[in-house]
Amino acid sequence: MSGNYGHRLEFGTFITPVNASPETPVALARRAEALGYDLVTFPDDPDQPAHLDAWTLLSWVAGRTDRIHLAANVLTAPLRSPAVIARSAASLDLLSGGRLQLALGTGDRVAAGSAGASGLDAVEAVGGPRLDPRTAVDALDESIDVVRAVLDAGDPTPVRYLGDHHRLAGASRGPLPAHHIPIWLGGSDPRLLRLVGTKADGWLATSGPDDLGTANKIIDEAARAAGRDPAEIRRLLNVSGRFSATRQGFLHGPAADWVEDLLPLVVEHGIGTIVLMTDDGATLERFAREVAPALREAVDRALPAPLPRTARRTASVRAKRRPGIAYDEVPASLADGAVEPGDIAYAHVKSTYLRGGAPGLVLRPRDPAEVADALAFARAHRHLPLGVRSGGHGISGRSTNDGGLVISLARMNEIRVLDEATRRVRIGPGARWMDVAAALAPYGWALTSGDYGGVGVGGLATAGGVGWLARKHGLTIDHLRAVELVLADGTQVRASDTENPDLFWAVRGAGANFGIVTAFEFEVDEVGPVGWAQFALDASRPTDLLTRWGAAVEAAPRDLTSAILMGPPRPGQPPVAQVMAMVDSDDPATIVAQLQPVADIAPGYDQSVVITSYASVMANASDAPHQAQGEPISRTGLLAHLTPEFAEAAARLLASGVVYFFHIRSIGGAVTDVDPDAMAWSHRGANFHVTAFGRHRGRLDALWDDLLGPHLRGTYLSFETDLRPERVGEAFPPRTLARLRTLKRRYDPDCLFRDNFAIAPEPTPEPSARTTP
Amino acid sequence: MTDYGHDLLFGAFVTPTAQPVHHAVDLAVTADRAGLDLVTFQDHPYQPRFHDTWTLLSYAAARTERIHLSGNVLNLPLRQPAVLARSAASLDLLSGGRFELGIGAGGFWDAIEAMGGRRLSPGQAVDALEEAIHVIREVWAADRPGGIRVDGTYYRVQGAKRGPAPAHDVKVWIGAYKPRMLRLTGRVADGWLPTLQYLSGGPADLTAMNAHIDEGAVAAGRDPAGVRRLLNIGGRFATNGRALLDGPPEQWAEDLAGLALEYGVSAFILAADDPATLELFAAEVAPATRELVAEERARASR
Ligand SMILES: Cc1cc2nc3c(=O)[nH]c(=O)nc-3n(C[C@H](O)[C@H](O)[C@H](O)COP(=O)(O)OP(=O)(O)OC[C@H]3O[C@@H](n4cnc5c(N)ncnc54)[C@H](O)[C@@H]3O)c2cc1C
Repeated sequence: MSGNYGHRLEFGTFITPVNASPETPVALARRAEALGYDLVTFPDDPDQPAHLDAWTLLSWVAGRTDRIHLAANVLTAPLRSPAVIARSAASLDLLSGGRLQLALGTGDRVAAGSAGASGLDAVEAVGGPRLDPRTAVDALDESIDVVRAVLDAGDPTPVRYLGDHHRLAGASRGPLPAHHIPIWLGGSDPRLLRLVGTKADGWLATSGPDDLGTANKIIDEAARAAGRDPAEIRRLLNVSGRFSATRQGFLHGPAADWVEDLLPLVVEHGIGTIVLMTDDGATLERFAREVAPALREAVDRALPAPLPRTARRTASVRAKRRPGIAYDEVPASLADGAVEPGDIAYAHVKSTYLRGGAPGLVLRPRDPAEVADALAFARAHRHLPLGVRSGGHGISGRSTNDGGLVISLARMNEIRVLDEATRRVRIGPGARWMDVAAALAPYGWALTSGDYGGVGVGGLATAGGVGWLARKHGLTIDHLRAVELVLADGTQVRASDTENPDLFWAVRGAGANFGIVTAFEFEVDEVGPVGWAQFALDASRPTDLLTRWGAAVEAAPRDLTSAILMGPPRPGQPPVAQVMAMVDSDDPATIVAQLQPVADIAPGYDQSVVITSYASVMANASDAPHQAQGEPISRTGLLAHLTPEFAEAAARLLASGVVYFFHIRSIGGAVTDVDPDAMAWSHRGANFHVTAFGRHRGRLDALWDDLLGPHLRGTYLSFETDLRPERVGEAFPPRTLARLRTLKRRYDPDCLFRDNFAIAPEPTPEPSARTTP
Repeated sequence: MTDYGHDLLFGAFVTPTAQPVHHAVDLAVTADRAGLDLVTFQDHPYQPRFHDTWTLLSYAAARTERIHLSGNVLNLPLRQPAVLARSAASLDLLSGGRFELGIGAGGFWDAIEAMGGRRLSPGQAVDALEEAIHVIREVWAADRPGGIRVDGTYYRVQGAKRGPAPAHDVKVWIGAYKPRMLRLTGRVADGWLPTLQYLSGGPADLTAMNAHIDEGAVAAGRDPAGVRRLLNIGGRFATNGRALLDGPPEQWAEDLAGLALEYGVSAFILAADDPATLELFAAEVAPATRELVAEERARASR
């Protein structure tokens, strides 16, 4: 008796891949998914012309299902190049969203049901190598090495492997799969069982209960001899049976008898996955409804502690855990989607667009209830940094950190039209602005956001939103009609002009301080085709250029919104400024007339003017994962007018070479129509927003404070990375800040939310009365 | 003037990039909806920036409805011909007859060897391809009696069972450039699939290459018209015409009609990785080209 190994109990199906009616196995797989099975498997007999090729079928089924995991049962390894197996596995794992498990075998004893001569003869007959039972296991052993090496995409060195059966002479590794693909082996030969113990993540058995004890013992001993914990190896068992009114034998009787028969397999023999071999829809359904849940309950009753409901992480993954985090207490709703440093997905979530990070745990909730679960976990880890992440483009917002927690809302990215007549749209925080633009375009609508399509809704729509239609249509937050958020204590609330109006006021400009917004409701604008211009202008007289650009933009009709971009001096090259402008009009004459004064501010090197859609201007970001390193260094501020004195100071800043990216956007126009007290974003008089990025914190701060500081009137917090306390006062004028501090005391007195312009709560009148949760 | 009289096909040649993960699949769906006949992916199993082409073809087939799919072209050296034959038949069955087998002898032998494949000389690779096609056709010939026996120099099949047969007559298209491969194409293939940009002399090279194929076909007692001539093309849509396949859609149609009537090309597979280009190709170039070619064929037959 080996006992249970503590894996989550899972249920799978084994479906005959008949090719006479190829839609049948596909329909059964979809049925299994709908019934809640965890896994669907198909056999891969080496020489079975009545079957569909297992890999082709798995790939097809991946395209027709959403949730269920997929495996061959088992893949005949000698008929395929192991390096190709690895790349195919990575591809299928990526395409299916992390749903592939790799089950391999020698072809010797394929899963029950295979007829005919020895499997190894069949392997040879179809053109594979001649193998005997011993060499077949040796070759499989080498295949595992090769597959693992190729999948190890993080290692930059090419794979060199000199085996007796497989030789690789410098193959490149990758692609990186979506999740850690476990390797399971199928078969019962003692040599193969020892290989399971030394190298595999799981064993896929088809033997009867009597052999299980012996087999588990061989596996466990081999695992211990190799220095592994035998519990890391999942045991899967293919079973078949029949439902009948009275008991006829093992797995042949009423559902309750099935539970009784299966219980010892789980409790005593440690089977973690039961794979039901059936092509009968009724059996599939009855097992899912009557056997699986009852078995789960019986198992939890029989074992000293209930089995986990979440996937188990291996010792090597756990070894990379960071101190101070109760990893094993992650709420069940979040555990499967959580990413920790040893996980394969970690490389894709640790950093953001501009900031390198190494968080200890990334939680990825899918709905407000899960956000509340995540916040409960965060409250229990108040000693660690907490980053709240939507699109990962935070500059002021530290949505990654070192050793702390991150709550990523990337999966909450739904975009839904609520009412066409009032152009009311509901958007999840994880959506990106290019996706929003693309979703609104078919309606002839747009929502002004920013200039970069990759930026997330969550970070921008809680802070401001200075976009390409700002002068015509205002800030993004000016379009906000309601938000739903989860507060620091886990309460879910709605805020609008009529519900929690003070919170609604605060969210529009200082949202990051008050909760996690889980849905935004906007009233969007009708926007047809737009004029879009890019000019490269001579910047050898920067003071003049900036002053004239500012004057031209302020004089322009509100249709026009523009930005100017400049860089450091480049030896031997003439200084060039990039000017971009959008004109909200589809009339060529209007567009040209409005652009002309902007184009005329300096001699031009190059220009392009097109009539296009707002959505295509926004479609400028890639889907690649964020992999920044280091910290962004920036300063930012707001300006009423672009005076010659400011322009002169800016020219000196640029000439210093300390700034590598200097950017001024136009605001003004419709932005100034809103009452400064209407929301927490209160610098309504500003016509320009200026930002500089540099490489040295101290040098940038010194020059900026000295040269530009005196000209600035407040700031738009999103582009600021300076952490000195004065910045908060610049973002929020005294009256606004006082009100925010009162609200902070009410909604987040312990400052759980502090990754982005943390506001200190107003001190409580009687500190002694304060209770800590 | 050569025209083998086939109906014209228009397709997409999409980069099977692994990032963004669904980029190639999304383009296949676009091509399907836009009404293109064919979507194809190159196959470089040693290239980790790409998806495994077989997996991608199968997944994309499950996501599309009427478009045909093919490798462009599949790399033989890292795959077992009998497994490939059964996989191809399986995909054809699953997709309701939408798979075509574009295949090549392989190149990049250093990379193939690095992956654990066997290095062959160009001449050996041609022979290996011929053997593999033989094995594949034997597997597909499900109703012929007896097991399969192919005792080749490169591939041996010893009594494997036949089948399954694909759902439709899967076409074997070979990517070929050199005379031996071209003659092999004429001898055994249903189609020829070269890339225009690899022809150093431009379209004019097609004449001599067609002649090699025709010669191979005739020598094997086949009608040269049994070998469809496909062509991978690249180009740019622009307001003003500048060069071959660089101009407005009407000019493209004329360029392609010229290639069809002059060199017998009857399938144009456009290398493009953006939906707008594929949509324009399907909506404007394909019908206009078909019309021009139909008119010219009608005139010629009068
Ligand atoms: C390349 C680039 C271009 C930009 N262009 C513009 C522009 O044109 N106009 C403009 O206005 N801004 C612009 N920004 C700034 C951008 O709006 C902010 O950095 C914004 O915070 C990014 O949002 P995110 O969701 O992508 O970022 P994240 O990094 O995910 O979040 C940033 C911060 O926002 C807060 N936050 C995120 N999600 C939520 C939520 N659901 N509820 C509450 N708080 C949340 C957190 O404090 C977090 O640290 C740009 C930034 C970059 C990097």
